[in-house]
Amino acid sequence: MAKKRKWWSGLLVLSLVGVLFTGCSTNNTAGSSTSAPAATTAPAESTAPEATEAPAADAPVDGGTLVTSSFSDIVNINPLLVNDTASGDVAQFVFAKLYNLDREGNVQAEDWSLAAALPEISEDGLTYTVKLKDTAKWSDGQPVVADDVVYTVETAKNKETGSPLISAFDKVKTVEKIDDHTVKFTMSQIYAPFLYALVQEVVPAHVLKDVKPTEMQKNAFGTDPAKTVTSGPWKWTAWKQGESHTMDADPNYWGTVKPHIAQVIYKIYADQNTEVQAIMKGDTDHISAIPVTQVEAVKANGKIDIIQKPGAQYEYVNFNFDGKNFPDGYGLFQGQKTRQAIAHALNRQGMVDNILKGVGALMNAPFLPDTWADPGDAAVNYDYNAETAKKLLAEDGWVADAKDGILVKDGHRFSFELQYNAGNSRREQVAAVIQQNLKDVGIEVKPKAIDFAAWIDQNVTPGKYQALLLAWSLSTPDPDAESIFSSKYFPPAGQNSGWYKNEKLDKLWVDGYSTVDQAKRKEVYKEVGKEISTDLPYVFLYQYGQAIGTGPRVHWAEEDAPEPSLGYGQFFHAIKWWVTE
Amino acid sequence: MTEYLIRRVLQSVLVIFLITILTFLLIHAAPGGPTQVMLAPGLTPEIFAQQAKNLGLDQPIYIQYFRWIGDLLQGDLGYTFKNHIAISDLLWPRIGNTIILMGAAWLVSLLIAIPWGIYNSTKVYGLSDQTASFISYLGFAMPTFWFGILLQQWLSLKLDWFPLSDMHTRGKEDSIADLFMHLVLPVTVLALGFLASYMKYARASMLEVLDQDYIRTARAKGVKERKVVFRHALRNALIPIITILGLDLPILVGGAALTENVFNWPGMGRWFVEMATAREYSALMAVTIVTAVMVVIGNLLADILYVVVDPRVKLGKQGGKAA
Repeated sequence: MAKKRKWWSGLLVLSLVGVLFTGCSTNNTAGSSTSAPAATTAPAESTAPEATEAPAADAPVDGGTLVTSSFSDIVNINPLLVNDTASGDVAQFVFAKLYNLDREGNVQAEDWSLAAALPEISEDGLTYTVKLKDTAKWSDGQPVVADDVVYTVETAKNKETGSPLISAFDKVKTVEKIDDHTVKFTMSQIYAPFLYALVQEVVPAHVLKDVKPTEMQKNAFGTDPAKTVTSGPWKWTAWKQGESHTMDADPNYWGTVKPHIAQVIYKIYADQNTEVQAIMKGDTDHISAIPVTQVEAVKANGKIDIIQKPGAQYEYVNFNFDGKNFPDGYGLFQGQKTRQAIAHALNRQGMVDNILKGVGALMNAPFLPDTWADPGDAAVNYDYNAETAKKLLAEDGWVADAKDGILVKDGHRFSFELQYNAGNSRREQVAAVIQQNLKDVGIEVKPKAIDFAAWIDQNVTPGKYQALLLAWSLSTPDPDAESIFSSKYFPPAGQNSGWYKNEKLDKLWVDGYSTVDQAKRKEVYKEVGKEISTDLPYVFLYQYGQAIGTGPRVHWAEEDAPEPSLGYGQFFHAIKWWVTE
Repeated sequence: MTEYLIRRVLQSVLVIFLITILTFLLIHAAPGGPTQVMLAPGLTPEIFAQQAKNLGLDQPIYIQYFRWIGDLLQGDLGYTFKNHIAISDLLWPRIGNTIILMGAAWLVSLLIAIPWGIYNSTKVYGLSDQTASFISYLGFAMPTFWFGILLQQWLSLKLDWFPLSDMHTRGKEDSIADLFMHLVLPVTVLALGFLASYMKYARASMLEVLDQDYIRTARAKGVKERKVVFRHALRNALIPIITILGLDLPILVGGAALTENVFNWPGMGRWFVEMATAREYSALMAVTIVTAVMVVIGNLLADILYVVVDPRVKLGKQGGKAA
């Protein structure tokens, strides 16, 4: 069903302490690039005298240790259960995927992919035939075969497993082994995003076949390095809980491109601040997310290269359309003009410039800028204009109250609660801006920060709130977003937690994934962009990004540099990186 | 004495069980269970429900509690929900790490604070006393994490005298000297906090005793000041200090989450916060039990030490006549 998406905010909650700790923050004014992917050649953007020394940069060397860091530990690296960033980080070093993404987000059969070539898709778009490389091996020496793929998909589809992959594979009717190295997927319907579902690690059937699906979470595969048979360039050799993971290059790795780096250490710090300190000290070589408040301090250090551009996540204000959430059942956001007025009233560019320090891009539809589905000008862009906003509100019947200037309609005050998660400093600032911006047009906003777990459990999942400020982190480049906007997915069955219903859009989402012809899909998403930006179930705020930092010991060729716009793009082509002492 | 100890221990066991029930209920009352925390909440509720079922979290609270307590009585602290790792494998190494850190800080502060506090009580408002006051204020007022970051910035990042964080340098896990170097900064931060309070207690306690009639008598009899302080006053002054030390004992295993975070010390404090965020019931219960046991032991030790230090204190039958 739904494309796999993550609530990026979970991580940001964990960064609470880190944010609190930013005692040495700087008032950075750098309007760092929101530029095209090609601009991210690694050791070039900032001052990095040691990193750019020509001889080392030109000639890869084998051996050495790369120390990278995170501020949360893994949960489980069993690909059937991976659902958090840290687990995904570690898994992608040690497990090979069927397919991989290139820098532009296209599905490719790379040298390190398990598949030998792109899948053959039948004319009717209903069957995908995947050929595996006959050289691929598990770390225990067994070959990677069709049975592994069949087992992985069937186990993921089995409800008893509780696998988050179920939404990626539930439109697969059957998955069959044709021969040892060929697998055929038959779909129950045409479903274009399925190609991205194949960018997926596989688990070894010969190790797991006797494990009951309900016991999968308790199985040591994925939590005990000694019992986790892997297929990637590095083997998972040690895990000190809460401290570090060690991954050693697998001497028997099957790929023709072998990793240069002999050992990868994935260190876990308590928060982002300690992580940043560690890379500045030289204790680590790589950091995936430097908090925006500390980027300038890291730049000033002079030894760290920073790659900074918007990533695969965007922030939005979500309106709730269920009247039950409002006093007297009177939904404040029913009027289209009202929602458009709110979009005009918000200074989104100001948020990008001042809060994101320029590392962000405005969005008008749920498609990331510069991707193939970006509708461009077809989507309505709401400029910051309080006068237009006031005009639209008046047209929708809102009249300013004589006493305090707050708008009133049918005896109802325009006053609502805007929920977000406590501890996310960016969101706190954005909420304050929204409050001020809307006050200027006569709308009262009461920002409310709630503990993340409690919030999701009691408000977001059941769809009980008036408006919320949240973000989506897109884990695949596919533009399908039916699961968050279609009325098929009202709570508790899905993620349309704002109870938004638009029949035209409901149909368009289905049209969007019901063809594998990308040109046709592009047209559909253009139409989606137009409709959704006019009707505004969300005010789309901006795409934002995180700064990746690397120390002077790490090197790569330009085409292998980290790619922030991809999920796990911070380790893009790590197999080709090398380290110097 | 023995009877007293037995009674205290029995009382304590009861208290600990009540604490476990209360903790269990409180944790469960908080919204968001382990599955919600460990999963991206954007996923369907069916996945949560299935995962909760696979982990036994769909059972009524009392069944979960009794299962946990049953395991505990067999010496099994249970497993984490999110990845099924034995709590004991996670808990004991962290207690060890915290004892190293907190023990060192405690010892350092004690060795400085007690003599200094005593000395200052004999020279009230002298230079040393004023300095100590200043340090105390600093110790009370300065947020430990901020002081920690300050030390890291100067002594580690700028001057490169000490390691920034962690317990060991990679590859030097067996080196005591390396561990010592890693201890300096966090111990400084923590010791300042302990120092401040111990020094105040030592000074105040001594001053109170020095003001007593029997001290005045001793002085009047011409006993040397040194002897007055160390023989007559110190022993009595130590009683309240021992109380404080006894009550502080749980801190030695409980850890200081903020300091452990700043210095990336893999100890209990940091782990507890992590487990609380993840709603890991078993882990939280284990920490609660260990801390509760330490509180009991601390109290007992303080009581026993009273008797050792001050023979006037009699433990035993309640309702005895006032002496």
